[in-house]
Amino acid sequence: MPNQKKLIVSHAPYCHDGSNISTRSNNIMLAALPAVLHGCYLYGLPAVGVVALSISTAIIWEYLINLLTKRPSTIGDGNAAVIGMMTAMLFPATTPWWAVITGTFVAIVVGKQIYGGIGGNPFNPALIGIAILMLSWKNIFDIDYALLNYDFNFPAAYPLVALKHYGASSVESFSLTDLLMGNQTGSIGSAFGLALALGGLYLIIRGFIRWEISFSFLAALIITSLLFQLYAPGKYAGPLFHLLTGNTLLGAFFLATEDSSSPVNFIPMLIYGAGTGLMVMLIRNIGGHADGVVFAILLMNLTNPLIDKIRPKAMGKVNSHA
Amino acid sequence: MSSNKELRLALYMAAVLFVVGTVCYAAFPAKKHEQPVRIMFKTLAGKVLFDHKAHTSEKGYALSCQDCHHHPEGDDASASACGECHINSEDKAPAPEKCLECHDSGDFEGVALTKKTDAFHQQCDNCHEKADAGPREKEKRCNWCHNM
Repeated sequence: MPNQKKLIVSHAPYCHDGSNISTRSNNIMLAALPAVLHGCYLYGLPAVGVVALSISTAIIWEYLINLLTKRPSTIGDGNAAVIGMMTAMLFPATTPWWAVITGTFVAIVVGKQIYGGIGGNPFNPALIGIAILMLSWKNIFDIDYALLNYDFNFPAAYPLVALKHYGASSVESFSLTDLLMGNQTGSIGSAFGLALALGGLYLIIRGFIRWEISFSFLAALIITSLLFQLYAPGKYAGPLFHLLTGNTLLGAFFLATEDSSSPVNFIPMLIYGAGTGLMVMLIRNIGGHADGVVFAILLMNLTNPLIDKIRPKAMGKVNSHA
Repeated sequence: MSSNKELRLALYMAAVLFVVGTVCYAAFPAKKHEQPVRIMFKTLAGKVLFDHKAHTSEKGYALSCQDCHHHPEGDDASASACGECHINSEDKAPAPEKCLECHDSGDFEGVALTKKTDAFHQQCDNCHEKADAGPREKEKRCNWCHNM
């Protein structure tokens, strides 16, 4: 006999468990911190400058827009700091200061506040900021060019650019262990795959992000890259390479799972995640960009309201009025 | 809405990080080595990423400066970038400014300097041929260096 107590619901007021938005924001920043620290270790103080300036200016932009619109200040909930941190993770270490400030301005003001603030944004704000910069000043995001003066003890070519221009044979110079442990070039927060995966699992276990999105994202990416590799092994790299390079893990656990711009129902979450993983691989293997994570997530953000309409029918019966 | 305590904390964090960021940008810009580590040539046929350190270091190909920076002879300290003398100019264009630091413009009458594109291709081709390195197949020759 089913447990009848499960169906008992009392009237309001309810007991609050103490969690709030700032708890969520703090946990997301905590989960992303190891990957950011690794980027700072790898690229030194220039990377620290980018991260510090990005987080601080994101908070400042949000504070100023709150003042300008005469609304209560929302910087205390930590969401602006999270957007600043995510934006910083997508920047190369040598990003000029004006690009960081412009990026956080676009992310906070254009990506979030003009839609009414947290919860109203249809796109991931950090990705809006980065996408605008990528389209306006694409050289800033040329990882090979940005890191010309860095001397590494691992292959210094950006793996996805090497793959795109020199074919699958160039992938042999990158060891998968190195890629997992962050011994690869990339943006500040995207290189350390192990830290990103552990951070993502922490957020899933704590319930701050939904596993359905991350899981379907990575599953679709693995399946699609495997199909490409089976089709033309000399031209396309395998699933593990794509899993551990570029912004894949950052996107799967920290960017695609942004609340406001992702679905809330089970099936839509799976479609949204799978669509993102599929788009990433199509952009990487057929499109013009070396890494497609930013544009793939933004594209699926666009479809979010539509696919989130796939939901269970409401119980009961509605009388038809002739 | 967040509490006053959280608001103050966010403001303090923004202020501290802004100072840290400004100091990092002002006092610790991205370091530049005496010799370039890698050089990116932006050409009409795509970018070329040249690993300068791999070509010059003892652990790499151990080339001497003079192997590529051939002029002025025997003076490693005054090695100029290739493009300072080899420029893609019209045939009757004046001599490059770098050359005029030591030469008179009259020295260049009837002299045709190798153009930049040809100079790079000759330099890379000859060296790789001697070392028997790089692609031999014609269809792969461009993509070996150029990101197209």
